[in-house]
Amino acid sequence: MSKPLLGILLGAVLGFFDGMTAWFTPEVREQMVLIVASSTFKGLVAGIVIGFVAQRVNSLPLGILIGLIVAILVTLPFALMEDPATGNTYFWEIMLPGALVGAIVGYATQRYGIRKQAA
Amino acid sequence: MHDDTHIGGAGSRFPQTRGSAIIAARSGDAETRNRGYAALVAGYWKPVYKYIRLKWHQSNEDAKDLTQGFFAQAMEKEFFQGYDPAKARFRTFLRTCLDGYIANENKAGKRLKRGGNAQIMGLDFENAEGEIRELQLSAGTVPEDFFERESLRSLFEVALARLKEACETAGKMQHYRIFERYDLREDEAEKITYDQLAAEFDLPVSQITNHLAYVRREFRRLVLEILRELTASDEEFRSEVREVLGVDPE
Amino acid sequence: MKPLSDGLLRRLRRVADLPDLSDSKYRLIRKLGSGGMGNVYLVEDTVLRREVALKVINIPDPPPDLTARMLREARIIARLEHPGIVPLHDVGELPDGRVYYTMKRVQGSSLERYSKSIEPLSERLRIFQRICQAVAFAHVRGVIHRDLKPENVMVGGFGEVLVMDWGIAKLQEAPDEKAAGGEGVASDDFSSGPQTRSGTVLGTPAFMAPEQARGQVEAVDARSDVYALGAILFFLLCRKNPPLPEAEPAFTKQLAWDLAAARAEDRPLSRPLRAICTRAMAWDNSARYDTVTALIADIEAFLDGRAVSAYRENLLEIARRFLFKYRFLAGLVLTYLIIRLLMIFFFRP
Repeated sequence: MSKPLLGILLGAVLGFFDGMTAWFTPEVREQMVLIVASSTFKGLVAGIVIGFVAQRVNSLPLGILIGLIVAILVTLPFALMEDPATGNTYFWEIMLPGALVGAIVGYATQRYGIRKQAA
Repeated sequence: MHDDTHIGGAGSRFPQTRGSAIIAARSGDAETRNRGYAALVAGYWKPVYKYIRLKWHQSNEDAKDLTQGFFAQAMEKEFFQGYDPAKARFRTFLRTCLDGYIANENKAGKRLKRGGNAQIMGLDFENAEGEIRELQLSAGTVPEDFFERESLRSLFEVALARLKEACETAGKMQHYRIFERYDLREDEAEKITYDQLAAEFDLPVSQITNHLAYVRREFRRLVLEILRELTASDEEFRSEVREVLGVDPE
Repeated sequence: MKPLSDGLLRRLRRVADLPDLSDSKYRLIRKLGSGGMGNVYLVEDTVLRREVALKVINIPDPPPDLTARMLREARIIARLEHPGIVPLHDVGELPDGRVYYTMKRVQGSSLERYSKSIEPLSERLRIFQRICQAVAFAHVRGVIHRDLKPENVMVGGFGEVLVMDWGIAKLQEAPDEKAAGGEGVASDDFSSGPQTRSGTVLGTPAFMAPEQARGQVEAVDARSDVYALGAILFFLLCRKNPPLPEAEPAFTKQLAWDLAAARAEDRPLSRPLRAICTRAMAWDNSARYDTVTALIADIEAFLDGRAVSAYRENLLEIARRFLFKYRFLAGLVLTYLIIRLLMIFFFRP
């Protein structure tokens, strides 16, 4: 499996499960579908970017750092959104796990997946 | 070497040796026996004399008598018949015999005129005495080690004498002089190059190296020949060669 | 007449020992050392203008079996073209009839000396792997070394590992040639038995398999080299020679005791690693690794954090190995889970 494809799949799967954890917060259970969809989407986007970076950069620490930064950038707009029903923001609840998911994808794409040689 | 193998090289095999003087000294034939004894005396009289002087603290006159007496009695009483190469090296055996002989002589209180017929050996004791003075022995010298070292020294001295004789006979004294100049120089610090020798002898460098190689080859052959004479078996010969020539790299 | 001085005597001993290379293309530079069978000299190949090592039998008038053995060694090395085996350049005969061969000059130090300077366990194991690879190659070519020991392994200046001294190697039918249906190489055991080599004891007893030490020449096969490699591994792990394989069960007990007492990087040796060494050095050759390749596979598995064939792990050990192998990923996932739990229980709006 190529590194970009691994990034996409892992980003999407981890994003999906990260979104599913919202079920443990009863206040937002009604918006589960939206949360899971948006979480999967941001995981997917972050995975693409991280996967393509891993294709070019061969460094575990740098891969993790880039994963972390990309995840923060992609998650930031969602973390800043207000809940239309309550007006609350869930900045840290979204930011911290989202950033960690990015770091995990960064690690995985550096360690695994096939790096295609440039022609 | 395997029959199916042919490899290059000058081709001449290791030369025939004169054979073991120890075995000759045990021969039933008187002439062979005498020849064997003569070779053993030639190889060992000097270390024996020096050893008697050092270990037994004998005067040079007594040491002379004891040396001659020892070889005379060794021949008379066939000391060397009892030598077994599987048990010890001949050098060690000879030293043990010598210690026993001198201890007996001392016990019996004999002092002079041992082995009257040994005078015919014509050994140069003055020279040996001079060498003892040159060697500047220290108080800590172990007599047994000293005997080993002197045996080795004697071996090489005999080899050098034979080498000179062989070069003279073969009309290759220039070869010998090149060897003398290059390999026998006393001054360790003096560095001589082939170019210097070439200038000195008015010869091309290639000839200098060839001459040197010839004499070195002869020298090795003679050292091995003497070692063959002073050992009783192939096994002992090989082990002696390893010990005598096994010099650590510089 | 002055006696020969000690210095002159020493020089003459050296002169009498020098090989006569006057009719060859080699120019003598100096003596490098001496082994059981021959002396090694540094010489210059005057045609190619490079320095090579020249090995020559160190006894004069060598018996035919010794000359044959020296030639055999040369032929064995010649057929082993591998980065871990010193390449042979030339074979010849001196004017006095002694056989010599020239090979690449190896600059470095013996494993015995080199191992003192290497601390990380992984580096020691990587070096060991390279030794094994050279021996495995020789086995495939039908050659059993029979004298493997740290002294016979050289580590070059650039970390290259070279297995030396094939003087008492045994030729067997080469497995690759057999598999290919080729003619094969007939069993060729010239040595006079493992106890003697020119009147001296062969090899170092501590690195010799029990069957080899007992003189059972027919029983000596690739597994005897596996034992010696296990002994080298022991040497690298414990930094001392292994116990002498004199009697069972005392030997196995002592081996286990020494391995348990050994430490690497301030930690006791792990059980799988100890098991690899113990299996390679098993008293009974049927209990050892069948091939050096199997030993290499276990070392590789150990270095990669995978299970080794020499040791059966329990569940706890499997979990610990996995966690250790993927410790960074496990750390990230664990951090994620902790943060999630903290959010769920403590950060409710």
